[in-house]
Amino acid sequence: MQAEITPAAIALVGLLAALFLHDFVTLQRNRRLLLLQLVVFAIGGSLIVYPEIARRLAHFVGIGRGVDFVLYPLVIWLVRESLLSRRRRHEEQERVTELVRALATSGAHEVESVTVAHSSGRAPAHSSGPSASCTE
Amino acid sequence: MRAVRIAVLMPAFNEEGRLARTLDELRAAVVGEAEVTLFLVDDGSRPAIDEEAVRAAAHGVRVVFARHAVNLGQGAALETARRLALHARWQPAEGPFEAFVTMDSDGQHRPSDVLALAASIASGADVALGDRFAGGSDVPTSRRVLLLLARLFERATTGLNLSDVHNGLRAFGPRAIARMRIRQNRMAHATEISRSISRASAERASDDQLRVVEVPVSVRYTGESLAKGQRASGAVAIVVDLFHSFLFSPHEPREPR
Repeated sequence: MQAEITPAAIALVGLLAALFLHDFVTLQRNRRLLLLQLVVFAIGGSLIVYPEIARRLAHFVGIGRGVDFVLYPLVIWLVRESLLSRRRRHEEQERVTELVRALATSGAHEVESVTVAHSSGRAPAHSSGPSASCTE
Repeated sequence: MRAVRIAVLMPAFNEEGRLARTLDELRAAVVGEAEVTLFLVDDGSRPAIDEEAVRAAAHGVRVVFARHAVNLGQGAALETARRLALHARWQPAEGPFEAFVTMDSDGQHRPSDVLALAASIASGADVALGDRFAGGSDVPTSRRVLLLLARLFERATTGLNLSDVHNGLRAFGPRAIARMRIRQNRMAHATEISRSISRASAERASDDQLRVVEVPVSVRYTGESLAKGQRASGAVAIVVDLFHSFLFSPHEPREPR
């Protein structure tokens, strides 16, 4: 099996190396993540430099081109990841909303009380400033 | 005649001088006419709403004030106001609120319409929705087109055939407001409310059905309010929000009545 060192292969492997270097500097404490990234990048780099690997695997499973063998699962994974990420964001937004609301309701107070007598636990008439609060 | 006990639910975000003008008008319209408690929710305005200015403008109207630490959106602020208005602590000593009116803080809605909506509730309606077209509002053509599309969208998605949609001036009776929980933080809450009304007005048991009426109201369009109001791009955001909610929000049992 012969390596195919094309300009595109050099650029892509260079990009992988630069990304890994960047993460090596910024994520030094997270060694496990770095190791996982190194393995994934090494597999990706090998598929770029030795496209024959992907071609043979594609033929073996009945997919026409080597690049499709890599692309199909990648697209499925990306779509799924995108949906999961949106769901997580939606759930986090709901949590933030409830937190902000709980703080708001616990700090709710009368800034203007009128002459009508209100039920117990409330500020006297014509009060100002924080006078009573409730928690939902 | 005894004055109706009204809770006005008002979200506010970066309204600056418009809020003081709205409160001043509200005070002038309701003092002596109804027992009004204003539930004002500052939805993370920067700078924060000045409570002294609120007190000065609303003098004579009871104001319960709450502040969101960060901006969440109009729907979220309305839901906070709704929960406060239903909380036992803030009920008037004379008895619980009889009408719950939602209105904007930017001066688009006329405070005098609050009384008309509350009167419909006092007359037996469960939901009174403001109809700006019947009220002689000078609605700009671009807004008319947007509202027509919104009306068709609401009719298709909620089954509710209304003369006006996405009008923030509405009133609810006690049993209706308890069923109007808002989960949409941003502008899609209007469609969510329509859907809740549609479901509740089509209940099988007649006792559970809500009686819905439309009341003519007048909406003022100014350069400021149009610049801050909804745009066509906002309509896309509403559809996206509704789709996200459809996908990701688990079905929850109905609110207890």
